[in-house]
Amino acid sequence: MQNRGFKKGLAVFWWLTLIFLYAPLLVVMVFSFNAINTSARWGGFSLRWYERLLNNDVVISAIGHTLLLAVISSIIAVILGAMIGYGLYRHRARRLGLLIVLIYLPIVMPDIVFGIADMAFFVQINRLTGLLSPGLSTMVIAHVTFQIPFVALIVYSRFVGLDATLFDAAKDLYASPWQRMLHFILPTLKPALLSAFFLSFTLSVDDFVISFFTAGPESATLPIYIWGAIRRGISPEINAIATLMIASVALVAVVSLLFNRRRA
Amino acid sequence: MSQADVVWRRRQRRETRHLLVSVLPGALWIFIFLVLPSAYLMSVAFMTNGGFGQPQMPLTLDAFRNLAGFGFLGWSPGNLYTLWRSIFQSVISLALVVLVAYPVAWYISLCRPRLRAIMLLAVVVPSWTNQVIRAFGWMNLLSPGTPLSSLAEKMGLIAPNMGLFPSDFAVTLGLVYNFLPFMVLPLYAAFEKLDHAQIEAARDLYASPLRTFFVAVLPQTLPGLLAGSVLVAIPAFGMYVIPELLGGGRSQMLGNLVASQFGEAANWPLGAAGALLMLLATLMGLFILRRMGRRLGGGTEMVI
Repeated sequence: MQNRGFKKGLAVFWWLTLIFLYAPLLVVMVFSFNAINTSARWGGFSLRWYERLLNNDVVISAIGHTLLLAVISSIIAVILGAMIGYGLYRHRARRLGLLIVLIYLPIVMPDIVFGIADMAFFVQINRLTGLLSPGLSTMVIAHVTFQIPFVALIVYSRFVGLDATLFDAAKDLYASPWQRMLHFILPTLKPALLSAFFLSFTLSVDDFVISFFTAGPESATLPIYIWGAIRRGISPEINAIATLMIASVALVAVVSLLFNRRRA
Repeated sequence: MSQADVVWRRRQRRETRHLLVSVLPGALWIFIFLVLPSAYLMSVAFMTNGGFGQPQMPLTLDAFRNLAGFGFLGWSPGNLYTLWRSIFQSVISLALVVLVAYPVAWYISLCRPRLRAIMLLAVVVPSWTNQVIRAFGWMNLLSPGTPLSSLAEKMGLIAPNMGLFPSDFAVTLGLVYNFLPFMVLPLYAAFEKLDHAQIEAARDLYASPLRTFFVAVLPQTLPGLLAGSVLVAIPAFGMYVIPELLGGGRSQMLGNLVASQFGEAANWPLGAAGALLMLLATLMGLFILRRMGRRLGGGTEMVI
């Protein structure tokens, strides 16, 4: 359809959609600098909500929990997921249907079912054995579970993109399995592992539902804190925390993009 | 047994061991921490409510009768309304998402290749923000006294001082907002491969724009549309955060019903029965996707 008017109409629609997509985020960011305690009116510029955040111990510890959870779970997930990705690639000739179903399960499972299943399971295990009381450890377990598939898929697709004869070349040069791992597989995998780590990290920070149901009283993350604050009544303080989270996500996105571009 | 046979067998065994060592730790992790818990949750759906929400023996179908509205005090339609609202909201938001995503995906596919990557990124980036924050943004935009609410009030769409939030409308809007990228990406993948000659042929034959769309564009983008529909409708059906925040208690969906049974309402079997329903819906969606993918071809290259 080379029609000029048609394309112009589509362009207008595109910009309207962009406004739709970014308006809620911009509102949060703008009103985090509002001097008065409402999101309905602008009362002048102020940093008071950010100052308040710095003095809020609960928020500071929630930030700590969020980062700790994201880092620990991503490290575990990258190790386990990369091993699966490598196994899937090396044995792709075999029939691995059931394994693939297992790997896709965490992705397709509704997150509320995921979270509640884990919660109910952890509660019963805790009652029977005293282990796994709700807290950071149960959250790490749940997060790793939904991060593994993404890591495995990224690593697998990196291997598929490689020239398969490279593996034979390494063997022909009498590289031992360890040498192959150290000098060929890990270096070629490095970009994939890094982007898998970043993705796992973002997935962890982004998650609310699964964290909410597996968290303990002492392990609230930022999204859980924000959720509670919203339920207690809207305060511009939430705007300030949310703005920090939006900004950090944008930062991670830009960093990983620059990183990707350099690789390409 | 020949020498070659022995070597081949030994190699086979080594390969199997390699497969197990590399795949087993992660696979076991998913099995223990997702498959087992889900199996347990499903079994809870067939147990009896023990008073404090704890599931007990004997096995019954009480939870499902509960879900259908039969309780202590006879039948009430509350749960069925919730179910109906889940279906209704996911269908409506799916329809709206399709209406928005088609022009967007089409436009992106008509732009210069370098620009396309950036445009797709622009569509996806908002969904990287935590969904609680995104819903909170809409609360800010729609609450009573904001420009949008005042405008709706002046146009007589809502009662004075009510605001656009909390309401069913806010939930629909939140769902559309949340799931738009899930439709744009697969639709764009379809539009990228669009054969423009078919559109020109239709126009040369004096087909109306609408007819051109249905004859030349829709069939070509159908795989993307179907993939997107499953990616939108199924998660929307089990949505928890958006109805909870934007619906304000009166617009509960199945996810909220399930969650409340594990919290303040304390009826684990009922909650588990709801979760079972959600899982069945998910499986059905995946099944449809696979069937359609096979029939249309190329459905396997799905965007996640």
